[in-house]
Amino acid sequence: MAQSVSADEDFEAPLRSLGSVLSLAAALIWPLQAALIANALAGLLQGREASPFLVAAAFFVLAILRAGLLALSQRKLSEDAEFTLTRLRSELVEREATATGASVIGGPGALAALAGEKLEALRPYLMRYRPARMRVSVLPVVILLITLWYSWACAVVLLMAGPLIPLFMALVGWAAKDASERQMVEIGALSDLLVDRLAALYDLRLIGAGGPVVQSFEHASESLRERTMAVLRIAFLSSTVLELFSALGVAMIAVWVGFSLLGQIGWGTWGQGLDPFAGIFLLLLAPDYFQPLRDLAAAWHDKAAGEAVLDEMQTWRNDARPQLIGDGGAATTWAGPVAIGLRGVVLRQANQRLIYPDIDIKAGTRTALIGKSGAGKTSLLRLLAGLARPEQGQVLIGDEVLSDANADGWRARLGWMPQAPHFLSQSLRYNIGFGQPVTDGTLMRARINGVIAALPKGDLTLLGDRGAGLSGGEARRVTLARALQSAPDVLLADEPTADLDADTAEKVITGLMDYAAEGGTLIVATHDPRLIERMDHVVEIAPDRERVDP
Amino acid sequence: MKPLMNIALLMWRAERRSFLRGLFLSVLVLLMGAALLGLSGWFITAAAAAGLAGAGAVFDVFRPSAMVRLLALGRTVTRYGERLASHDATLRALSGLRIRLLQGTLQLPFRSIERLRANTFLNRVMADIDALDGLALRLVLPGLAGMSAILLAGLALWVLVSPGIAAVVVLGYVFGPLAVFFVGLRYADKPARLAEAAMQALRTRLIDLIAAREDLTVYGQLSKTRDHVGIAQDRHRTARNRLDRVERRAGFSLDLVGSAVTAATLGLGLTLAHGQAISPAQAAIGVFVALALAEAVAPVQRALTETGRMIQAARRVAPSIAEDSPLAANPMPMLGGSAELRFDRVQYRRGLGQQPVFTTLSFSVAPGETVALTGASGSGKSTILLMAAGCLSPSSGAVTLGGVSIDGQSDDTLQERVTLVPQRHALIAGTVAENLRLAAPLATDAMLWQALNAVSLDQVVQQKGGLEARLGFRGDGLSGGESRRLSLARAVLRKPSILLLDEPTEGLDTATAASVMAGLRKALPQTAFLLAAHRSVEIAAADRVVAVERLIE
Repeated sequence: MAQSVSADEDFEAPLRSLGSVLSLAAALIWPLQAALIANALAGLLQGREASPFLVAAAFFVLAILRAGLLALSQRKLSEDAEFTLTRLRSELVEREATATGASVIGGPGALAALAGEKLEALRPYLMRYRPARMRVSVLPVVILLITLWYSWACAVVLLMAGPLIPLFMALVGWAAKDASERQMVEIGALSDLLVDRLAALYDLRLIGAGGPVVQSFEHASESLRERTMAVLRIAFLSSTVLELFSALGVAMIAVWVGFSLLGQIGWGTWGQGLDPFAGIFLLLLAPDYFQPLRDLAAAWHDKAAGEAVLDEMQTWRNDARPQLIGDGGAATTWAGPVAIGLRGVVLRQANQRLIYPDIDIKAGTRTALIGKSGAGKTSLLRLLAGLARPEQGQVLIGDEVLSDANADGWRARLGWMPQAPHFLSQSLRYNIGFGQPVTDGTLMRARINGVIAALPKGDLTLLGDRGAGLSGGEARRVTLARALQSAPDVLLADEPTADLDADTAEKVITGLMDYAAEGGTLIVATHDPRLIERMDHVVEIAPDRERVDP
Repeated sequence: MKPLMNIALLMWRAERRSFLRGLFLSVLVLLMGAALLGLSGWFITAAAAAGLAGAGAVFDVFRPSAMVRLLALGRTVTRYGERLASHDATLRALSGLRIRLLQGTLQLPFRSIERLRANTFLNRVMADIDALDGLALRLVLPGLAGMSAILLAGLALWVLVSPGIAAVVVLGYVFGPLAVFFVGLRYADKPARLAEAAMQALRTRLIDLIAAREDLTVYGQLSKTRDHVGIAQDRHRTARNRLDRVERRAGFSLDLVGSAVTAATLGLGLTLAHGQAISPAQAAIGVFVALALAEAVAPVQRALTETGRMIQAARRVAPSIAEDSPLAANPMPMLGGSAELRFDRVQYRRGLGQQPVFTTLSFSVAPGETVALTGASGSGKSTILLMAAGCLSPSSGAVTLGGVSIDGQSDDTLQERVTLVPQRHALIAGTVAENLRLAAPLATDAMLWQALNAVSLDQVVQQKGGLEARLGFRGDGLSGGESRRLSLARAVLRKPSILLLDEPTEGLDTATAASVMAGLRKALPQTAFLLAAHRSVEIAAADRVVAVERLIE
């Protein structure tokens, strides 16, 4: 594996990488091949007999060398690109695994897109654009010097045409850039538009709107095509300018060489006239003076795409988020007595500080946390599970302070019922037991066995995408089963009966009460009077708030 | 490969003119490139020969040098035209493909459209369609253009140089790249599929890891899930490395094909020139044209990389692509009229051999009547509405409309009379008016305002800027309750005989909910309402209540 990109270095490093150097070496073989052809043709003219087989064989051997170097360079470049991508991807996965709260980049979908196809856009940037940039800085100079050796006139032609190209390209490109950026946004919008229509298609068909939807999409798509073509007419001008100059450069050299060989032009060389070898050689070399520039222009889009991804990566990196307590792995169960205390806890939330009162919860009790929505009940549950780090103060478990050292062990004793669960794209059974066997007793206590029996594939039914296939009540009971599965000492439940009909809510409440009756410690955040009236303690959560100026 | 060919043919037939224009210009560009190099080579070698022979003064320099300049300029201009033409063809094909996908999806059974609500499925479809975008630009046009240019250049070499050299160029440049393409495709197929599957797994697992982070942490599953992501990442890397190797070898072989052809024309040209069969200048033409034609086969490597993906995408997308594009005739004659909806001993099973979802059901809804279905969540109220709309068939019993069975009626006939408003509201990006006119394209502004008034949304729309106020994707910009009411207004515009409402006032406060229910009835006095009711305000608006009893626990 390449060591060319170390952990702290930025992405400039591959510029001088072995892969780019090899690609340059491959390109430098062409002048040798060109000399071979020129010499053979000149020999024909001057009556020097050379073995056709040897000439062809020598040309082919050089070609193998050139193709081999190129393949080697691509292998190296591909390894380097893979190394960089792996490093960035791993960094993203590692940090996201233990971060808390949402990223500035967006939700899980946006982060997965960044780690997935967006990072893939770096591959052409690293593999095509970087080596092209290296070639463009060396090859034209080499060819210019060779040309100068034979003819100053040809060298002047190249020198004139070469530097003018970037200038003109910049001018045209500059005009096209703004337009084409808008264009990229719109092409993305066409995809979004299609998704928008497809997602609504089911319901739209129910109101007989299928035809009109297709027509309106057709209209949008057609107008987008017209606007795109208007932009492309300008955008393609820049590459046309490049080709115009290179074509004119080559044509001028061809014409000058022809006239010189005929003896009709006597200037442009160093003294004696041009011989046939030099003429043919110069003609063969001239296109390759412009080739690196054309490669670079072709890779320009890769550069724009690659740099956009690097920018996004940097934005993500600069977004400092608190880490959760502990590392979320399986750990030896913490052995102390179950007793929970809050001591002077202050939690930073966006631009507010929540100052919680001191609270004590004893083992085997049922506690309801009540309070207005947004008062900080969910945050309190997260504090108790070590999912949020207090800015000040301590969460006590037994007589220890909840910390990185004991958080994973403490969580091994918890059951957890979030309000809006995200189910893994795995079987229902895996979502309850995480690979451990799930007992019928657990399913009975969560009143979920009937639901499972009715599913087409039972507990092997695939979940995912926010519990597709499960109703709200069913999903709630799956989280209850999951919480009961590990026989926890403490069960934390967030609004376990919200949005449920009376019948289902009753089932969930009974399941929770059964758990408490067996000696479990139950802590629920709730509004539901049916649930509150069955608890031992009711704690109103109304933490003081303090604005924090950023 | 076959689905891909079918899609390519479909695109070609739909946009024959723009494709032919792109193809013609592509061939022209390649030929002018070959002619430019060939002519330059001939010109210089012939000029050198004339100079050596002391005949420089009588050599006609002006015509060849003018031709060189003309070809150089002409090629540049043609290239510009070719780019525009082939991109135009591609964009047309791209837009056509998306339209066909929409049309094709509309013709699928309701069950399979429902899958489209899942984001993962949608993302899949989008990725497939994006992969097919390169079909014309990277596979079809360069392939056909390259072949034609090589054959035409071969013909010219036959006439101008020698049949032998023409044969070397044509045979080498036709069969060499074809062999590289097809052999490469075979080797690339498996790693390409593995790489894509691993990438999908990586995405799904990373989404799981981030979205379920807190749950996984509490259950001590975070490290394990993160390792799962790592495994997908490793699998992707391995497959990607193999794919890179195949591509590299294809590129290497392609380089060698071009060099072998050039070396052969060089050797053969020298031999023929030694034997005085052709002049040195003619030998130069062969070599220079062989060099120039490398440009015609260069797209093979890029095509190879993408064809594997395109084949897979085509396989998945092809079933949803409409073959022909009848402009879905739908200027909807609005049959008013009224009819009674009747359920006669209806049962529904979710699958063969499963027990029924609810107890056997018989009831009817008369024109102008409102019937509420009540029952616990999961008892099958939504299923009953879907049966009434003809989207699901009962397992036993019959659903009739005005005495005629719903089963076997065409979508169009049913949709003229029956409108279902599902729980999830489906709004699209566009103006309020556009969203409403999906239901009634010919409705006047006044009719739209009336419908908005019926669901107490007129004031909200007025505040947001009237009928031309824009909504974002999926109706972004409206609250849940507002979206709900806009969907209801859309249903009102259909003026159905039967209106099926699934929890119509979800997300509305009690006062608004009551006025919406009253407004709906006032706007559609003769319509039979059947609603899946959740709230007391909905039940209060009903003339009768039918309790649905769940059988499955």
